[in-house]
Amino acid sequence: MSRRVYLDHNASTPVHPDVVAEMLPYFGERFGNPSSVHGFGREARAGVDLARDRIAKFLKVPADEVVFTSGGTESDNMALKGLAFARGKGHLITSKIEHHAVLRAAEWLETQGFAVTYVGVDEYGMVDPDEVKRAIRPDTIGISIMHANSEAGTIQPVAAIGALAREHGIPFHVDAVQTFGKVEFDVNACGIDLLSFSAHKIYGPKGVAGFYMRKGTKLQSLQHGGDHERRRRAGTENVPSIVGFGKAVEIRARELKDEHVRLTALRDRLWEGIRARVPDVRLNGHPTERLPGTCNLSYRGVESESIVLGLDLKGIGVSAGSACTAGSVEPSYVLVAMGVPLEWAMGAVRSSLGGSTTAEDIEYVIESVEPIVRKLRAAMPVGA
Amino acid sequence: MRYSPTLLDHFLNPRNAGLMREPDGTGVDEYEGCGDLARFFLRVRDGRVSEVRFQTYGCGPTIAAASAASEKVAGRPVEELLNIKPQEVEEAVDGLPEDRKHAADVVAGALRAAALDALRRRRGGEV
Repeated sequence: MSRRVYLDHNASTPVHPDVVAEMLPYFGERFGNPSSVHGFGREARAGVDLARDRIAKFLKVPADEVVFTSGGTESDNMALKGLAFARGKGHLITSKIEHHAVLRAAEWLETQGFAVTYVGVDEYGMVDPDEVKRAIRPDTIGISIMHANSEAGTIQPVAAIGALAREHGIPFHVDAVQTFGKVEFDVNACGIDLLSFSAHKIYGPKGVAGFYMRKGTKLQSLQHGGDHERRRRAGTENVPSIVGFGKAVEIRARELKDEHVRLTALRDRLWEGIRARVPDVRLNGHPTERLPGTCNLSYRGVESESIVLGLDLKGIGVSAGSACTAGSVEPSYVLVAMGVPLEWAMGAVRSSLGGSTTAEDIEYVIESVEPIVRKLRAAMPVGA
Repeated sequence: MRYSPTLLDHFLNPRNAGLMREPDGTGVDEYEGCGDLARFFLRVRDGRVSEVRFQTYGCGPTIAAASAASEKVAGRPVEELLNIKPQEVEEAVDGLPEDRKHAADVVAGALRAAALDALRRRRGGEV
């Protein structure tokens, strides 16, 4: 295999070498428990504090409003269940295209007596703030809308939704796992009270994430134990990973703007190049209001997984928009919510570009896609 | 790699893919719930399969299984294909992962249907 091209950065990213270097001492010489009073503990505590400060500075929020968790899933669960349990009853608003960490937490809360409204999206995968407004009830206790979906990449109008939430005095949670460190936004200007964000999507380690909690937002802790994280999340801190997370954010803060411009150009070139060579292909997601590196394309009448396999054999890693698991096919619920017809949804393939992606990589992918799709279509029954 | 070299070779270079004009028998099978589909066309001379073509819609293993099976059945008596088993199709691609066994099912099903159709036509609608 000559060339290897990784285009699945929305799934995960490689840890930046500078992040690894910063983490290493915390496995060895600075191994202490941050809760310990002695010097060993204080060294570890200093690492955690520095990471928190870096993240708080990046988000322009007070450091004591940032909590470390084990991942985006935990942060999302903290938001939804924390809001719900602190109030005991009530109604939540979220969207149909949220990550499963939000959707399944919301569905579970329904079984516990809470009411949930799932707002839809338009053909570009965009939530309509007016629909959110119409869903607000006197007993609404929280609104949770993601900043951008990992599949389609459409960036949601969180500022407009945040303004609505604030107007009605409803806490607003945003799952920003896909945008944090990739797209500039202001937590305060967007009226965000709770924010989920993760390290491994921005060249940090897996198993660590962040949760921003605006002071005064009533939330029930889900994990009980020691007094870690100001009693908001019990459990000894994952010190090396937290340190790495802080470093990753510091690097992103420097690179964000340039990478946004660079990846947007490469993303658009990928779409234009494929569109010029392959018939019956469409772009899923908003044409412009989209994650800089995300390009979700549907090839009509071809099955996603066969394209993914074909590209894999050319050394290219992309992800399938539909999954065939043990004989049952599941078109992406995100594309279904966007109203993408089944014959297109079944042939969706997502490329997500990142730090390692070069212009040569994109040309290689463009050249590789065409013969794969042509061969698959040649073996395809007409009208299937 | 999750798939055998044989399977990958058939996936990348499918043999006998495409339509056939005026076949002596055609058969389709679809895997319910998954949407995977295979369609076979048979040309029959002296009771034996003289030419095979196929079309599939599905994941890579389905395409590969159809291609490998098309080579396996060429030259064989049509009657034999009435009983072709998924195991034989699976063996033709040197095995399938547990969650892709349906590729062999759908290909074997389409071949059996095509053989039945060819025999029906030859006997004027009765088998």
